[in-house]
Amino acid sequence: MTDDTEDTTGVGSTPNDSPPENGPATESDPTGATETTDAILVGSVAGSGGKTAVALALARLAQDRGLDVGYAKPKGTRLRSRVGKTLDEDPMLARELLGNDDEVHEMEPVVYSPTFVEGAIEGREEPAVLQERVQESFATVAEGRDLVVIEGGDSLATGGAVGLSDPEVAELLDAQILLVADHDEPGDVDDVLAAAADAGDRLGGVLFNRIADADYETVAADLAPFLDGRGVSSLGVIPREPELAGVDVATLTDELGAETLTDTNADGLVRGFLVGAMGGDAALRHIRRRRDVAVITGGDRSDVLTTAIDAGGVSCLVLTGGHRPSGAILGKAETAGVPVLLVDTDTLTAVERAEDVVHDGRTRDAETVATMRELLTDHADVAAILDL
Amino acid sequence: MTDGGLFAPDRVAVVGATEREGSVGRAVTANLLADFDGEVVPVNPNRETVLGEPCVASVGDSGADLAIVAVPPAVAVETVREAGEHGIDDLVVLTAGFGETGSEGAAREQELREIAAEYDLTLVGPNSLGIASTPVGLNGTFGPSMPDSGSISFMSQSGAFVTAVIDWAFEQDIGFRHVVSLGNKTVVDETDLVADWGDDNGTDVIVGYLESVVDGEAFVETAREVTSDTPIVVIKSGRTEAGAGAAASHTGAIAGNERAYEVGLREAGVLRAGSAGELFDAARVLAGQPLPETDGVAVVTNAGGPGVMATDAVGDAESLSLADLSDETVDALGEALPAAANRFNPVDVIGDADVERFREALRVTLADDGVGACVVIAAPTATLSFEALAEAVVDVQRETELPIATCLMGGEQASASSETLSVAGVPTYFDPSRAVGSLDTLARYRAVQRRETDDPARFDVDHDRVHEILSRVRDRSDNRLGVESMGILDAYGVPTPDGEIVDDPERAATVAAGIDGPVVMKIVSPDILHKSDIGGVAVGVTDDEVADSYERLVTRARNYQPDATILGVQLQEAVDLDAGVETIVGVTRDPQFGPLVVFGLGGIFVETLEDTAASLAPVDEATARGMTEEIDAAPLLRGARGREPAALDAVVETIQRLSQLAADFPAILELDVNPLVAGPDGVTAIDLQLTVDPETLPDRADTSHGDDR
Repeated sequence: MTDDTEDTTGVGSTPNDSPPENGPATESDPTGATETTDAILVGSVAGSGGKTAVALALARLAQDRGLDVGYAKPKGTRLRSRVGKTLDEDPMLARELLGNDDEVHEMEPVVYSPTFVEGAIEGREEPAVLQERVQESFATVAEGRDLVVIEGGDSLATGGAVGLSDPEVAELLDAQILLVADHDEPGDVDDVLAAAADAGDRLGGVLFNRIADADYETVAADLAPFLDGRGVSSLGVIPREPELAGVDVATLTDELGAETLTDTNADGLVRGFLVGAMGGDAALRHIRRRRDVAVITGGDRSDVLTTAIDAGGVSCLVLTGGHRPSGAILGKAETAGVPVLLVDTDTLTAVERAEDVVHDGRTRDAETVATMRELLTDHADVAAILDL
Repeated sequence: MTDGGLFAPDRVAVVGATEREGSVGRAVTANLLADFDGEVVPVNPNRETVLGEPCVASVGDSGADLAIVAVPPAVAVETVREAGEHGIDDLVVLTAGFGETGSEGAAREQELREIAAEYDLTLVGPNSLGIASTPVGLNGTFGPSMPDSGSISFMSQSGAFVTAVIDWAFEQDIGFRHVVSLGNKTVVDETDLVADWGDDNGTDVIVGYLESVVDGEAFVETAREVTSDTPIVVIKSGRTEAGAGAAASHTGAIAGNERAYEVGLREAGVLRAGSAGELFDAARVLAGQPLPETDGVAVVTNAGGPGVMATDAVGDAESLSLADLSDETVDALGEALPAAANRFNPVDVIGDADVERFREALRVTLADDGVGACVVIAAPTATLSFEALAEAVVDVQRETELPIATCLMGGEQASASSETLSVAGVPTYFDPSRAVGSLDTLARYRAVQRRETDDPARFDVDHDRVHEILSRVRDRSDNRLGVESMGILDAYGVPTPDGEIVDDPERAATVAAGIDGPVVMKIVSPDILHKSDIGGVAVGVTDDEVADSYERLVTRARNYQPDATILGVQLQEAVDLDAGVETIVGVTRDPQFGPLVVFGLGGIFVETLEDTAASLAPVDEATARGMTEEIDAAPLLRGARGREPAALDAVVETIQRLSQLAADFPAILELDVNPLVAGPDGVTAIDLQLTVDPETLPDRADTSHGDDR
């Protein structure tokens, strides 16, 4: 499927003719940061597209080739409050996976929170100052490195309010943009072309991600050549991999602020939710049809709980309303190795929060990156991407 | 399992024996000292004696062959280990604080299970009220009293119910042989006890109160064998949704699979009681009375009204019918009874009957070959002594060896005679329906004893092809397979219409050209469950419309659910639904009892009326045929209202084949062939839905076997 991608010229000229091993970017660097560092900005065509997984997997693949690789995310977006400080988790994962000890505030100089945007609108943020901060931080991360993989914002436009949209950042840091795109229906191609236009001469190419089996051939055989014809290189088509959606039980517990009632292993994967509002019989049927689900129900629904434990394949039980189940049920869950989490909220609130956690595409754990690494190797032209 | 050990030990150690008032350790020690034929050894490192018996410091020093453990949970685990190390194989753990209390307890219980496995221990409990064995005077419970001796062995998942029953049984003149409070069933469970008591000559009836069965398939297999000569009567509580919830909360057992229990217990030959009253009515009559040779019941009464009530109860009974008395019997009754009496069944000896008229009427009636059992009903009159009647009934019962239940209706008068009857094992009740119910129990058990089952037929099938198709679930994000898997039915010899799943309009046209007549087209997508609701089905499509129809179906599906995975469009030969009856054959795998095959008629019969028959898979031919006859809508299959009857043999064979499929592939959690159209010339499966557990599916190298469509 990547047969058509030998030509990596894309739109405009690509400065890197030589492989990274032999001494990367030679062009004079407008950032004034470092002269020998390549930069790839992984941007997203329409919201979530598995950017983090792609960015980190690329970084790991580059490391495999002997490169010294850094990670930066100039605009932190996945925010999480921890004792008064707002942090993005992606840089921390990057540090862990890449084995770097860059300072998180260097990797993520701007925290692009709603409060920040409000401030920008009220004129409290100075774009020129912010741009300078981004450049300086990048210079620190890039120092002595062969390559820095930059993760973009939620969409290419994110950051525009302060002159830090992805194309602007790419320009600022002299990076080539790799667009990560979904494809669910024919009209999606318009979004790809629009994003390509936004990226302008910074565009390196597009990587299709999470492509359903039924659409795979269409994308690889028809869409990729079509885009090539429009000057947009297609650098790979990654099939939809169910493994890539989901969080582990420990993360879910954390995010829900739940109490764990069992002493069970919490590294199982949760990929979806099922609300146990039905009777035991119906619950069995519904649970069996799904894989790796968390069953959310009231602690007093002993029929659903026991059914879920016996049905097998359930990642965990989330009990709402603060009702603890009977000791016998907890004992059974323990024996079966099914974690039981207790939250104080009602079922609806718990479902909303849990869905946020999973469907947010929070695919930043190490396992996901490892899977993405294999997928990229099999389905994308990694050499061409790293060569951007 | 017990080898005399658990129920006939020589020397019993009580670990945690003490004199502290109100403690379990004291209660058990006192109960044992009161009645036990063998030696009792208290174990307590802090005492010299307990209740006058010298103590030993540890269970290892006791030299016992049964240890009853009543020490705190953490110590209990170590005690069991020590017992195992010292060759004490039989244990009863009374201590609570295991899996029933939550996470920490469950870990402790797991430890107990591992120790028991390591030393091959027979361990009752934990969280048990204890065990009792009347032949050796063993009361190893902390309940208040030793039960009377008898031939009923009783197990209960509720400890409280054990003490309640023992106490109540005194008043009811019901005696027991062995009594076990099962507790958490960590090691010894209902299946072990059924096997043990089935081999025990002294046990005539096995009675149980169960909230769950640990291993349904093992239970069915064992109980099926045992019930061929020892009846088993069980209350399985949690029948209703609310009850199931309560049971789940109590024991952590799965709730909501009432249908599976119903089918599993029935196939095991276990008689199910609906209430505590029914449970012991059944136990008493099974322990005291012979089984009837025929289903015919005679009612002999001195009271018209109660006679009618009894007759109605016979009509309601599952396995009884009102005996049709022979001309000879009727003539003989005519000679024995006054003219105003009723010589036909129910036989009314009328209000002025004395005991001799009763006795004569009973003799004559029970001599009739059509009479398998008899209900004797009497209201108190000036001419009749209940005491004398009770003796007459006992005499006649001994002479004829036919089962009799009595209804000596009254208060004080009746209770005076009840002892005579209960000593002879003849049940007596105030209520005629209970008397009839107890005889019905005998008839039901006789049917269990006489039933014959064949080994299910093994059809020649393509196992590998099914394995290959099921394996595709691994590529799916959920566990469902649909019509694209119809090849499974082909592989198991279930007829399907001509057709194919295609993914482009040209191929659709080619396939349609190869099929006679118009075709049916359906969108194929695991994400679209109700195809017809979104216009995803087209019927009567002629060859020249096929390509357009293809595009239309795909467009509709895309519009309706843009993110749905669309595998293609299925083209099928049109099946004339009007010429046949739509039936449904389904399979669900019950977590306890394994695969259940379900049969019913399509449409409202299954969805609204829930008119289905179910059996454990695999089924033999007779069972499959029975399923087609059991449903209320069975007459429709036989050709009601002038229709041609459906090919029943083909339906029966399909049920057998699908039951074999379910048994062959444990990975199939659910399967629905809906509809299976049963016409006069055979059956055709139109649609298929499956839920497959990818974890259970074995990996195999030899998977690819041709096309799947």
